[in-house]
Amino acid sequence: MRLLSAAVLALAAGCAGASEGMEPTHMPSEAQEDYAVFARRCSKCHSLARPLQSGIESDEWWQHYVARMRAMPGSGISADDEVKILRFLHYYSAEQHKRHAKEAP
Amino acid sequence: MNARWLVATIVAGGLAGLFGRRAAAVERNLAGSAQFDYHFVPNSSSTLPARQVPLDGFTTEAALKVAVDVSSKLSANVKVCFGCHGFELPMAYFDYRVADELNFRIGRFSPSFGNFNLRHDPANHKFSSKPLPYDMGRMLRMREWNLGVLPSPFPDSGLEINGTHWFGLKAQLDYAIYAVNGFRGDASGQDLDFQQSRSRDAYYVDNNGRPTLGARLSLTVKAGEKADVSFGASGMHGTFDPENKLTYTIVGADLAFRFDRTNVRFEWLARRQEFDASDPSIFRYALPSTGGDFFVKHGGYAEIEQPLSSSVDLLFRVDGLYRKGNVFAASPLRRQSAVTRFTLGTAIVLERGYRVKVSGEYWDFSDPGEGGRHSDLGLHVGLVGTF
Repeated sequence: MRLLSAAVLALAAGCAGASEGMEPTHMPSEAQEDYAVFARRCSKCHSLARPLQSGIESDEWWQHYVARMRAMPGSGISADDEVKILRFLHYYSAEQHKRHAKEAP
Repeated sequence: MNARWLVATIVAGGLAGLFGRRAAAVERNLAGSAQFDYHFVPNSSSTLPARQVPLDGFTTEAALKVAVDVSSKLSANVKVCFGCHGFELPMAYFDYRVADELNFRIGRFSPSFGNFNLRHDPANHKFSSKPLPYDMGRMLRMREWNLGVLPSPFPDSGLEINGTHWFGLKAQLDYAIYAVNGFRGDASGQDLDFQQSRSRDAYYVDNNGRPTLGARLSLTVKAGEKADVSFGASGMHGTFDPENKLTYTIVGADLAFRFDRTNVRFEWLARRQEFDASDPSIFRYALPSTGGDFFVKHGGYAEIEQPLSSSVDLLFRVDGLYRKGNVFAASPLRRQSAVTRFTLGTAIVLERGYRVKVSGEYWDFSDPGEGGRHSDLGLHVGLVGTF
């Protein structure tokens, strides 16, 4: 058991610095504020990995998705926040799309 | 493979396929999570090994969920999981949202109760274990206590009407009212039987033909750009025995603060539980001539999640249970029994969607256990992944 704990803690220490979300300083300044709202609101109920790794790229799809999340009890996602979150997700999806296009053979 | 698990998988796949064909944009989302946790309890003795006190060893909780946005009004969720009771279908429902203020939820789901249940998935809460009022098998002496007040999740079949209304950009009011099958117990009617309540053997059909009714009301107020506060109240009432004579009533209140990424939460639950008193000889204490055929179980917790960096959270929780009322003659509990737990832990992000959880627990029981011991220790080391 001690060995297992030590191994897990060593692994964690080695990986420290990873994040569920994104590094805002790597984004254009106009996206940073939107990201902050996205991170603050969405991490209230679930890991940021959920939306960021969902593979969704369509704006229309995000609209349905965020509208459903906004209606979750206590989400705290106001109509104003919804606009900022969607703007960030649009930016993020476009960046992902560019990255995938570059990686494609 | 369990036949019902096979059926659940086929239903999930069928729903996803059906809606996938109909929705031009194929608006469905597949999500999942898995937590592998080692719970070490160093209290073994020759007569009562630790494994008989809690689930001492590796445990696995895994879930797979399909969410389908059929249109801007209609969505469906199907989730299958493996964990506390083997394979389970905790979600298979449709939401028909006429407006933000009026949504009809029909199918199998956990009805709205309390603050915690939304985060019951191990990927959505940072502690290794659930708060004691919502415990479903990770507490020490769980059989003596028959788990917490309302073990979470509590999937059931029925109808819920819920909605949310924003007052400007500052305040969000949520409500829910529902009718579901309700918890079950056997004919002896001494307490809720949580395994029977989730059993698939009776095709998820109620044992007494009377629904349990419940409601929840909560308000979230934004106190600035980075802070909000939520408070809510919940309640449900129904019968649990096949004869439809014995009632249970669960009430709860919750308060949660969030400042940036720091969360502070308080929650209290209480369950008033009637029992069959037709055979006084099975109880330890004499039954009063009137009004003594019930017990009350309270549960509460206070917890804080404090991020230390973008990848490390520090966690602290105090939680407990208090039970007042008669007990079986052989029960190690007494007329008034209590348990308090202190948990200190951390959650560390290894990779996006992949987290290690470590926590230590100190348990303090009002009643003596094996060897007269009133306290115990527990250690959790776990990995949780989500996508």
